[in-house]
Amino acid sequence: MTAVAALTARMVRNTLRSDLPFAVLAPAGNFIIFNLALRNVIDTGEIRYPQYLLPVIIVQVTLLGALTTVDRATRDHQSEFGLRLRTLPISSLTPLTARMLYCLIRGVVALVATIVSGYVFGFRLLGGPGHFILFVLFVLALTLALSLVADAIGVGVSNSHIGKTGGSSQILLVPQMMLTMLSTGMAPVDSFPDWLHGFVRYQPVSQVTDTLRGLAAGNVAVSSVASSFAWCLGLLVAFGAIAVRMQRRTQ
Amino acid sequence: MTTSAPLRSPLLYESWVFARQHFIHWRRSPLVPVQSVVFPTFLLITYYLLIGRSVMRITGSDSLYGLVPTCAIAGAFSGSLAVGLGISLERDVGLLSRFWALPVRRASALTGRLIAEAVRTLVSTAVITAVGIGLGLRFRGGPVELLLYLLVPVMVVIVFAMVVIAVAVRAKDGTVLIWIGLPAITAVFASSGSPPIESLPSWMWPLLRFQPMEPIVESMRTLAQGGLPWWPLLWGVLWTIAGAAVVGPLAVRGYRAAAESGGVRG
Repeated sequence: MTAVAALTARMVRNTLRSDLPFAVLAPAGNFIIFNLALRNVIDTGEIRYPQYLLPVIIVQVTLLGALTTVDRATRDHQSEFGLRLRTLPISSLTPLTARMLYCLIRGVVALVATIVSGYVFGFRLLGGPGHFILFVLFVLALTLALSLVADAIGVGVSNSHIGKTGGSSQILLVPQMMLTMLSTGMAPVDSFPDWLHGFVRYQPVSQVTDTLRGLAAGNVAVSSVASSFAWCLGLLVAFGAIAVRMQRRTQ
Repeated sequence: MTTSAPLRSPLLYESWVFARQHFIHWRRSPLVPVQSVVFPTFLLITYYLLIGRSVMRITGSDSLYGLVPTCAIAGAFSGSLAVGLGISLERDVGLLSRFWALPVRRASALTGRLIAEAVRTLVSTAVITAVGIGLGLRFRGGPVELLLYLLVPVMVVIVFAMVVIAVAVRAKDGTVLIWIGLPAITAVFASSGSPPIESLPSWMWPLLRFQPMEPIVESMRTLAQGGLPWWPLLWGVLWTIAGAAVVGPLAVRGYRAAAESGGVRG
């Protein structure tokens, strides 16, 4: 058994039990609450609100999941066990890789939970298998990119007071909320005040949810896929570089 | 502890010393101010930007009068949860036990904590309402209404803080607090009046009308619009007293056990 596999298995055994309820209930709860609260308020034209809403719930849950990654990276890095790992003859990136694999497993669980609760309320995947595979790949790429930056933040604050009380993730709730709620994932751009249209239309959450919605409907513009692909790739490269640097810095 | 002349009520004075300990703590670590002021303020702004236009189109009235009280209460709750995150740690390092051994009335550590929560809520409600006024809210009540408006969240947060204390002193760490926070903040939002209650499924109406947060938000909304909401206010006070009667003893008993534990390392 390689070090990565061993550490990932340890993580799954230790964390999944406490983390799993949150990974399953957060998407279901968010979907139900926003769907109930907004379905008769927001005018989405032709498309029904559950169908419109689901992609942004996926993105929001990914962001919320990344917040738990912050706390986990902090705990993992500052613990005696984390210290011990850094003395072993394994790559300094092994703990990071294991944490990222865990995040992907968690992301798959959350994605399944979101789609199941979506189906209960009228969301449907109308595209072919190709669309579905692309849909899943986008979600996983986004999960990985956000987990990388979350991990970097978690390792970065692991020596401060805020890291020790497990509160660093709380502060990131604010940017999470602004990105998801001020996007075309929640409401068409016309629902927002005029001065905000530029931000709402071009921010990454709007772009990605737009692509995911198209893929779910089985009818997506190439330009939309290209722009989301560029965002995901850019975020992966940038956040990956930061995470690797952070992990190495505190040697 | 200090040489200043003792006040007439020593319990109040000692509590104030403990409350000040919290203020200093919150000033040094930003988590509690962020959760009780920054987070709800941004929540108010983002949510209003998201639904303001649509609610105006449907109901013809401004959703701000419901949203400002909602965010004030939600912020008070999330602040209490942020305070609660640290309680398990304070117990484990033996800080609670050290307070227990000080030559003061033992109740004052707990009352001081509640006083600190009350002051924090007063400040955050004022800030959030000021931001609401910046967004277009017009407070039509007089000084009496304003006083009541500011005191309603304080009354609610004292009970909520007791719930958080009762749970946090018994919990292994802070994560369990999520399970109190989620339903509580959802209940607050369900009373905001946006979504309009008629847009929700009819089986939910009784649930929404009779839950404890409904009269609280309704009172604050009416006060802001310049009326005196006798019935909602009475209901809110009854809910609060009932809540305090249930969780108060649990909080005191749990706190005593945690304080007498001596911490895990000490």
